[in-house]
Amino acid sequence: MATLALRDLVKTYDKTEVLHGINLDVADGEFVVFVGPSGCGKSTTLRMIAGLEEVTGGSIEIGGRQVNNLEPKDRDIAMVFQNYAIYPHMSVRKNIGFGLRTAKMSKPDKEARIDEVAAILDMTDLLDRKPNQLSGGQRQRVAIGRAMVRDPAVFLFDEPLSNLDAQLRTQMRLEIKKLHQRVGNTIVFVTHDQVEAMTMADRIVIMKDGHIQQVGTPAEVYHSPANTFVARFIGAPSMNMLPATASGGVLRLDTGSTVDLPARADGPVTLGVRPDDLGLGEGVALVRGKVTVREPLGPETLIYVDTGAGGEVIAKADGRTPPEVGAEVTLNAKPENLHFFDANTGQALT
Amino acid sequence: MYRNLTIKQKQIVWAWAFLAIPVVFYSVIRFYPTGNAILISFQNWNLLGDRTWAGLDNYIKLFNDPVFWKVFANTFIYLLLGTPISLVISFVIAYHLDQLRFMHGFLRMLYFLPFMTSAVAMAWVWRWFYQPVPTGLFNNMLANLGIGQIEFLNSTTNALPAVLAPAVWAGLGFQIIIFMAGLRAIPKSYYEAARIDGVGWWTILWEITLPLLKPTIVFIVVFSSIGFLRIFDHVFNMTTNNPGGPLNATKPLVLMIYESAFTKFDMGYAAAQTVVLFLVLLVVSLLQLRILRDK
Repeated sequence: MATLALRDLVKTYDKTEVLHGINLDVADGEFVVFVGPSGCGKSTTLRMIAGLEEVTGGSIEIGGRQVNNLEPKDRDIAMVFQNYAIYPHMSVRKNIGFGLRTAKMSKPDKEARIDEVAAILDMTDLLDRKPNQLSGGQRQRVAIGRAMVRDPAVFLFDEPLSNLDAQLRTQMRLEIKKLHQRVGNTIVFVTHDQVEAMTMADRIVIMKDGHIQQVGTPAEVYHSPANTFVARFIGAPSMNMLPATASGGVLRLDTGSTVDLPARADGPVTLGVRPDDLGLGEGVALVRGKVTVREPLGPETLIYVDTGAGGEVIAKADGRTPPEVGAEVTLNAKPENLHFFDANTGQALT
Repeated sequence: MYRNLTIKQKQIVWAWAFLAIPVVFYSVIRFYPTGNAILISFQNWNLLGDRTWAGLDNYIKLFNDPVFWKVFANTFIYLLLGTPISLVISFVIAYHLDQLRFMHGFLRMLYFLPFMTSAVAMAWVWRWFYQPVPTGLFNNMLANLGIGQIEFLNSTTNALPAVLAPAVWAGLGFQIIIFMAGLRAIPKSYYEAARIDGVGWWTILWEITLPLLKPTIVFIVVFSSIGFLRIFDHVFNMTTNNPGGPLNATKPLVLMIYESAFTKFDMGYAAAQTVVLFLVLLVVSLLQLRILRDK
């Protein structure tokens, strides 16, 4: 087990810089999830930690030791790949044991270790099977087993759930989280799925275009997004963004409504409100418009409301008695659930 | 009437409609001559006269012919030397070429070039390489180093390897391309996982690359074995003065068939040899597929 630190980490391919100085401290035993759209640099960062990509600038420290120039095998890490990278011609036992090839252990010790890992992952009876006799979830577990068997300081997961169907993904998500609670190793997990990030992480690192946008607990990034990108990326459906103008502590929306502005600002401001917080209930009236589409989800119904002039917001209504399509509705939100962003920079106003 | 057929029956009608052309083609161009060759192997025929029934005479003659056994052995030497040598060389080249980025396409083209070259032209160039001083390239090089002359094509021991060398060389390009395609098909993450596990390149080669290349290796082994068992043009063109010589040292089965048929006009005897070659090819291919097949 160990801490992990990234200091001004930079990566360039040819002349294109893809990571622009990443700084991050991961505590011992912490479960950190990197999330962001494709091309944001999350996988590159992970591969640099693993030692599969060279570090262009800055440094990586694992357990307080700089590992920039160490071979992957000397970094005390293990990685689970998106396509699992389990060898089709080897049995599950050989696949898991492959990670122990270079370990200075006696053969019986290695066998015992493989059995132990298999027991933890509940696949003792699968040890003599070949990968093509396994289901997707079982293959995933073999890949995790191969990483676990080496008892590394840091586990690296590169989008390991994206090849699984939705139901299995939810199940594996839970299993990985349970596993982390049990073994307690430091984990860095990369995904593009914000639900995965929210449900699994101790802390989430949200990335975009090679920059970290925000680092925080799932609650922090959800309830206090640092900027409009984070606000829209985390949470589904995305946060509604309403253009407004601030002057003298009052925010005037383009729809005509006014709201008290707790932050100090003048000029154009973007007001953010999550669909969950916007509805027909109590609160400040924000927008009025016609319901264009209803999406029943069971306990509640999402309604798409045309606010005129091409603007559309998503709000939540009761699951049993949602307004009809075409109905004129007023959408309200509680003042504490409103988010304010500088319209020019996108940064949250405090 | 067609309308009243079930979907299944319609499919069958269409399947046969499309199959008709290959069926006719194979029957006329492949199966009929094959059957005819087997028939002729039990007959005597000199191409012009009547065919007369010979029973097993041709096979008995073949069995008692010392030249046939020499040729039979030669054919297997071509196979047993040519296939493994070309397999190893082409793999080594493909393995390294695959990791090379600099001038990759150009080098691959260079390796592929001999495969596109006419076997006749190639055989003649190599024949020139093998000449004694002052013409031959190899002997000139040896002379410059102060090493004695080597009789490449005129010695009964050297001639077969000397003929085999250009045949191996000519086939390399094709095998390299196939190997490289096989290597490319192995997911990169397998190697990355191995790097993280810290195993050495030898382990990676033996336990990851080669097992995963098995389908490619099976294909190349079967393909090149068939090629070496049917070797003809290189031998014929490099030993034109005395085809298959010296003293039948380089003569493969196909060349013997050719001579029996078109210099001695003993079609029955040639056909018997052809049947033997056919059986050899069949047995060797089936054996290889069986041995190399996935368990």
